[in-house]
Amino acid sequence: MKTALAPRFYETKRFKEKAKGTAVTFLLLLGSIVVLAPLWWMISTSLKSPEEIAQYPPTLIPNDFHFSNYMEAWRTAPFTRWAFNTFFIAACGTLGSVLVNSLVAYSFAKIRFKGRNALFVLVLSTMLIPGFVTMVPQYILFSKLGWLNTYLPLIVPAFLGSAFFIFLLRQFMMTIPNELIEAAYLDGANHLQIWWHIMIPLTKPALITVAIFSFNGAWNDLLGPLLYINDENLYTLQIGLQTFKGTVQTQWHYLMAMSVTVLLPVVLLFFFFQRYFIEGSNISSGTKG
Amino acid sequence: MRRSLSIFIPFVLMFAVLTGCSSGEQNVQAEKTQDGKTVVDFWSFWGSETRRPVIEKIIDDFNQSQDRIFVKHTFLPWGDIWTKNLASVAAGNPADVIINDINTVAQRAENKQVEDLSKYIDDSFKDQFYPHLWESVQYQNKPFAVPFNTDTRLLYYNKKAFKEAGLDPNKPPQTWEELEEYAKKLDIKNGSRYERIGFYPLWGSIGASSWMTNADNGAGFIEDGELKINTPNKVKALEWIAGWKERLGENTVQAFQAEFGSEQANPFIAEKVAMWVDIGTFYTQLRDYGKDIEFGVAPIPSYSKDSEHWAEGGGFVAEIPKGSDHPEEAMEFIDYLTGPEAQKYWAQKNFDNVANIKAAESVIDELTGDGQTVYQATVDNLKVTKMFPVPVEYPDYHNRINPIIDNILLGKYSPADGLRQAEKDVSKIKRE
Amino acid sequence: MKQTEILPSETYIHEPEAASKKKKRLSRTARENIIGYLFVSPWLIGFAGLTLGPLIFSLYASFTDYNITSKMNFIGLDNFKRMFTLDDLFWTSLLNTLYYVVFSVPLTTAGAILLALLLNQKVKGMKFFRTIYYLPAVLSGVAVYFLWMQLLSPSTGLVNTVLGWAGIEGPAWLFDPEWTKPALLVMKMWSVGGGMLLYLASLQGVSNEMYEAAELDGASSMQRFFYITAPMISPIIFFDVITSTIGSFQIFQEAYVMTESGNGGPANSLLFYNLHMWNNAFEIFDMGYASAMAWLLFIIVMVLTVLNLKLGKRWVHYEGGDK
Repeated sequence: MKTALAPRFYETKRFKEKAKGTAVTFLLLLGSIVVLAPLWWMISTSLKSPEEIAQYPPTLIPNDFHFSNYMEAWRTAPFTRWAFNTFFIAACGTLGSVLVNSLVAYSFAKIRFKGRNALFVLVLSTMLIPGFVTMVPQYILFSKLGWLNTYLPLIVPAFLGSAFFIFLLRQFMMTIPNELIEAAYLDGANHLQIWWHIMIPLTKPALITVAIFSFNGAWNDLLGPLLYINDENLYTLQIGLQTFKGTVQTQWHYLMAMSVTVLLPVVLLFFFFQRYFIEGSNISSGTKG
Repeated sequence: MRRSLSIFIPFVLMFAVLTGCSSGEQNVQAEKTQDGKTVVDFWSFWGSETRRPVIEKIIDDFNQSQDRIFVKHTFLPWGDIWTKNLASVAAGNPADVIINDINTVAQRAENKQVEDLSKYIDDSFKDQFYPHLWESVQYQNKPFAVPFNTDTRLLYYNKKAFKEAGLDPNKPPQTWEELEEYAKKLDIKNGSRYERIGFYPLWGSIGASSWMTNADNGAGFIEDGELKINTPNKVKALEWIAGWKERLGENTVQAFQAEFGSEQANPFIAEKVAMWVDIGTFYTQLRDYGKDIEFGVAPIPSYSKDSEHWAEGGGFVAEIPKGSDHPEEAMEFIDYLTGPEAQKYWAQKNFDNVANIKAAESVIDELTGDGQTVYQATVDNLKVTKMFPVPVEYPDYHNRINPIIDNILLGKYSPADGLRQAEKDVSKIKRE
Repeated sequence: MKQTEILPSETYIHEPEAASKKKKRLSRTARENIIGYLFVSPWLIGFAGLTLGPLIFSLYASFTDYNITSKMNFIGLDNFKRMFTLDDLFWTSLLNTLYYVVFSVPLTTAGAILLALLLNQKVKGMKFFRTIYYLPAVLSGVAVYFLWMQLLSPSTGLVNTVLGWAGIEGPAWLFDPEWTKPALLVMKMWSVGGGMLLYLASLQGVSNEMYEAAELDGASSMQRFFYITAPMISPIIFFDVITSTIGSFQIFQEAYVMTESGNGGPANSLLFYNLHMWNNAFEIFDMGYASAMAWLLFIIVMVLTVLNLKLGKRWVHYEGGDK
């Protein structure tokens, strides 16, 4: 009698969850193969000899592993210096981007000031003009400011906010209950304190996202450094990658070896930062429920 | 309130770091070296391991020979180099010498992006260079650049495949008719799949427009300001190309194209295609990666027995961007760069065709074997090589004609209708 | 009260008296106005100092024959006239771009949400999965496009091989003008990792308790998604739709790199609006015309964005209480 009443194993919650987990893992594994195919191709090319790359049909796994490609490619140009330069630009830009955009976004999300909506539309509108029609006047402007051949044109704009990130962070901050701000305000906190002590901790996943995006963007930027830097010592990795592309022949083994190398720091950064994506770490979960 | 102050500390710190790092760098490019030489800023896109040492050796040699000028070389990536050049000309602080495309010199002259060089050079200067190249750097009868290197197209053919197919490996096809006849013999088919394709006119370093020119007695789309797009021979050329596509089948053509689209493996070197049109430097790939290939080179087959083996050429020039601070010194460097000594070194090391006649001819003697044969063939071929500088009245005619040619080859228009339409479209965009 | 747990306790406790004294000086509204603008000031400085000038310059340039280096004569509305009456490629590029926008925005949005939901599950090795799926967003440059040319190769490419297993004969993708834009969409879907990250961040705001409560009420997983998850992440969907619409209208890099020297691909099937603009600006130095094109695009996208903002008020749910 008892056995008939008890749920069968495949009806239990535990089983359902296990089955769901397995299905999800399976799906993700399958997708991973698709997503990783390009990376596989990059790595395998980076380990081949030029002769093997020119072979047809292409080999999936290198016949011989030329790990030396990595060192050789690195030595063809001052890549150590360029890596440091790139890191410096990306790190400065990321810090500025996270701090400034969140401050501006806070104002748009939680402070009721006159003309807020109109100003916000103005912010959005700056995204609508393709960069290359303002590129030349902007270049002339930076030239007049005496900023050419410095990192200022690459870093200062990050400290002056970007429409994309302002909009993004505003969206996140809008989900945080007003009562929270109000309570803090009545407790005598000013907006700067509310921003720093409440908003920043509560929008951590969003800020991490902004950090990842800005670092990634600065790290992969080619046109910016190329336009504004004249001294090869101040070049960045992305310009360095271009040296392997010849007018007649491309040095694929070096290009791919350096592409993998350049990719690595960004991937590691993501890997370590993504631990902040933990369920329920945003505020709305704290007050609701 | 103390807390709110502390929040600003990171900002203050950052700005301190920023101003610190920026003031450490030189704001303006140095005009003079420490020993008082004038600095000539030279931009090129030659950054690869093969080209860079060659150009830097030339620059070193020049700098050694100088007590007045110091040339500073900066690598900028292909394509982007000209965007930056444009911005820097607009801002008034360009390089002193830059390498640029030979077919668009007139456009840059028209838009005042380059300096007129006529005041720096005498009449005999131009005699050093191949006349078809010198013509391309002129705008309103004045030179605005000096030709540096050039290229021309040859037919590479696989001698082993020729023997297999019962063809004489020392008799490459001379006319379009022979080309087609040989190609059919060289095809190897396995069921419906092609194991090897004899030839396909649009593969390699050649396109439909080159064949149309070849058929039309060397006439381009625009000759002396006159539109020559819709001519009987150009129509025939397109019909001929369409015939190849029909014979091989759309799927075969697309599949081959896609497989080799990544530019890593080459179908001629992989012996999947028996005849292949390419430029002279293609030899270096054959030399490095095609050890088993026995190949020959020939001029591009002519439209008929009576017409020439017309080929299309391109190349690069050295020029002085408008607004350069030291045009005279820049010209002195260009003079050396395009002179016999530097040109010979470049030609030898890169196996590249150069603009300086004396240099080109002296290189032939120093090469041996296949290298000599190919180089000789390219130099000889310059006589039938035509340049197609973009006319200032029709700066973007390519963009109007090419898609129509695509559509003709896809069978959407007949060659005659399509070219009529193309001529009409191009006439619409004429500039005064 | 959960709120107090979140507030750093020592900060405000001693402040009320001091604050109340200060309040007398200015009304709260006035202070909000000042503080509001003060916080926005970095952006205002950047806008006024670095962006506004070049913007006005390009707006003026759109009424001139500006060629970047030597000319800038006022020619009235000639550029716009040319666009509508003489330049057939303008229409081609606009239609290509619209096609791309219409498909890419919904596809990438849905793709990113689905992926984020999958990557928000509690499964072993999730750290690695998330990193793997984000990878395509990090990869950039020419290498990626060459890779896709291989993957989309009609006879031996991975995509058509897989389609072949399902008994479908795949198209020639990048070589068939009918299929070039779908090929680009496939590429775009591959790199939804960036968008996924936004949703993943947003999903962290949806608490387990809410799901558990719903489950007790007998809600199906579809219901849970539409009644709990969707409203909670709607601000980010809203953001994603607006920014990816803007971004899709400006598609450039893919077409520029994948078509030889930016010529717009087979039969101009990849000649997008910005590619045509680029060719005008930097190939033939007609920056005046390119600027005119840019400002027309500005108007088109602005209308769509404002429309989006208005419509957003109906479906975007801000937990914070604002509209």
